[in-house]
Amino acid sequence: MNAIPRAYQRELILLAAIGIVCVIFASRSEFFISERNLVTVLRNSVDLAVISAGMTLVIAMGGIDVSVGGILAVSAIIIGRAYQAEWPDAVVVVLGLATGCVLGALNGTVCAKLRVPPIIATLGSMYIFIAVLFLVIGGTWISGLPGTLSFLILGEWLGLPAGVYIIGVVYLLCWAILRRHVWGRHLLAVGSDEPAARLVGIDVDWIKIRTYTLLGLLAGIAAVLYVARLRNVEVNIGTNIALEAIAATILGGADIRGGVGSLAGTLLGVLFIKLMQNGLVLSGVSSLWETVIIGGLLLAVLTLDALQGRRVRV
Amino acid sequence: MKTTARFRDPLRQRLLFLTVLWLLTLALGAWLSPHFWQSSTVPYLLQYVPVLGLLGMGQTLIMLAGGPGIDLSVGAMVSLVGLAIAGLYGLGLDIYLASLVGLLVGALLGAVNGVLINIVGIPSLMATLATLFVYSGLAVALTGGRPLGGIPGEFAWLGQNQTWNLPNQFLFVFLPVTLVLHVLLTRTVTGNHIVAAGNDERAAFLVGVNVRRLRLKLYVLSGVLAALGAIITVSWFQAARPDAGKGLELLSVTAAVLGGTHIFGGLGRISGTLLAILIITTLQIGLQLANISQAWQLGVIGALLIGSVAVDSLLGRRP
Repeated sequence: MNAIPRAYQRELILLAAIGIVCVIFASRSEFFISERNLVTVLRNSVDLAVISAGMTLVIAMGGIDVSVGGILAVSAIIIGRAYQAEWPDAVVVVLGLATGCVLGALNGTVCAKLRVPPIIATLGSMYIFIAVLFLVIGGTWISGLPGTLSFLILGEWLGLPAGVYIIGVVYLLCWAILRRHVWGRHLLAVGSDEPAARLVGIDVDWIKIRTYTLLGLLAGIAAVLYVARLRNVEVNIGTNIALEAIAATILGGADIRGGVGSLAGTLLGVLFIKLMQNGLVLSGVSSLWETVIIGGLLLAVLTLDALQGRRVRV
Repeated sequence: MKTTARFRDPLRQRLLFLTVLWLLTLALGAWLSPHFWQSSTVPYLLQYVPVLGLLGMGQTLIMLAGGPGIDLSVGAMVSLVGLAIAGLYGLGLDIYLASLVGLLVGALLGAVNGVLINIVGIPSLMATLATLFVYSGLAVALTGGRPLGGIPGEFAWLGQNQTWNLPNQFLFVFLPVTLVLHVLLTRTVTGNHIVAAGNDERAAFLVGVNVRRLRLKLYVLSGVLAALGAIITVSWFQAARPDAGKGLELLSVTAAVLGGTHIFGGLGRISGTLLAILIITTLQIGLQLANISQAWQLGVIGALLIGSVAVDSLLGRRP
């Protein structure tokens, strides 16, 4: 809607930032820029990238979901348990995705039908999901799961790691929903001005439920990828992923107040975060500093966004 | 007309509802465990009230002043201030002086939140989510995840000892603070301004309330209350753990919201939050004494959080 040159400003800035960060880390550690390391970074980014795509739609709708880590965890347990019961791969995967959908739909329904603000609804459901996690696996790990799904992470096709295709499909699909489908139009309308969206006849409740369900589905996919990658389910699974996904989305140019979101920006945000994490560890910074750096980055971007044109009301 | 207005007052209904709910949790506790219904349970239970209580009070005031306001960093501030106190003591500072500096650190951390939200203009949810991660990340990174111990034994009087069968931290910190905040909210101009800012910030601004400065001060207050919580924690456990305040942000939000504070401001009361904290703590202690998994606590609290907001919205307390 703005003048075209401004449209991709954020993406270009992020691209430049990624370039600068890469040059800095490459100068400190030769291994950083090696193909092997970059493929590893990519493999570790797939689950965050998938979840962040859904988070972008939810935030563009004016919502937020801090419970995605919980959805990921519960789906992963179901997958782990189904595996232990030696069910066939296809059933296991479908079960994991279905769990994600159901939990996402639950969040959406609480937000839409019970009129609970999304932050409260998802904080509450996160508690409940964590409770489920502890009650089912009781402080131990589910480990030694079979590696039959490893091809989703380790596989290669036409010289590119499988993750590239997964990310490609997910982002293309989400882009199509956001930019080429009524769903996306309506979702942005809800994010820009919910009462107005209601007045022009958009079924706001249904849009919310659908969008949260989509995020749940993507969290289910992330759970499949998680199990495929690590072949275990640990107790603190998914603890940071909600914040990382929100950070990537905001870095990518989405407005937390809703109405604005960029999938390309989000994907660049994910890459930026993951490259930072990897590069800092390689250059000898303790991984304990990760959260400080992501939080600081988020604050910096929020501050710039806020100072750029938006004034505090009152 | 006055009586009907009183009867319909949502805050009164809320207090009645909370009292009934508290009695129910007490009954539940007695039913679950034979050890619950004893006089020794009272000080034991009250020991767990102050830290969460102080944070819940800060959360209540921040939400009440509208914006919408929320402080998700309270738990992280408890951890970080606790480490600051233990660290300063380790450097040779007197423990009481260190606690005083801790209060200043808390005020500073709260001021950072307040400035980011009210001067820079970042929505409170995002700003405090980010500082939650910066503060808690700093707490872990600066200590390598290890607790700082070596707090002098004489400092334990605050967190471990009792006076008249009541924990000192409850009697000498929590009770006075709650009383002061209650008076502040119900009997002073500032209290009226807080409610006015939450009800209609534009109107409040037009009649001369400096809404931004008022809200900023409340974030500073929230930081100071978190620091008080940190002092209690350090005295109680004789150590500062980098994850001491983990999860308290969610509990404090639950306490405020369950207590009847409207998430978008303008409606709420200290007494409601106090009852909510008693309910949460009773539930925790009851389940703990009955040896029921902590996971149930989390689940029940999550359900309470969603349920209390849903009931409000569905009953039409200001959509």
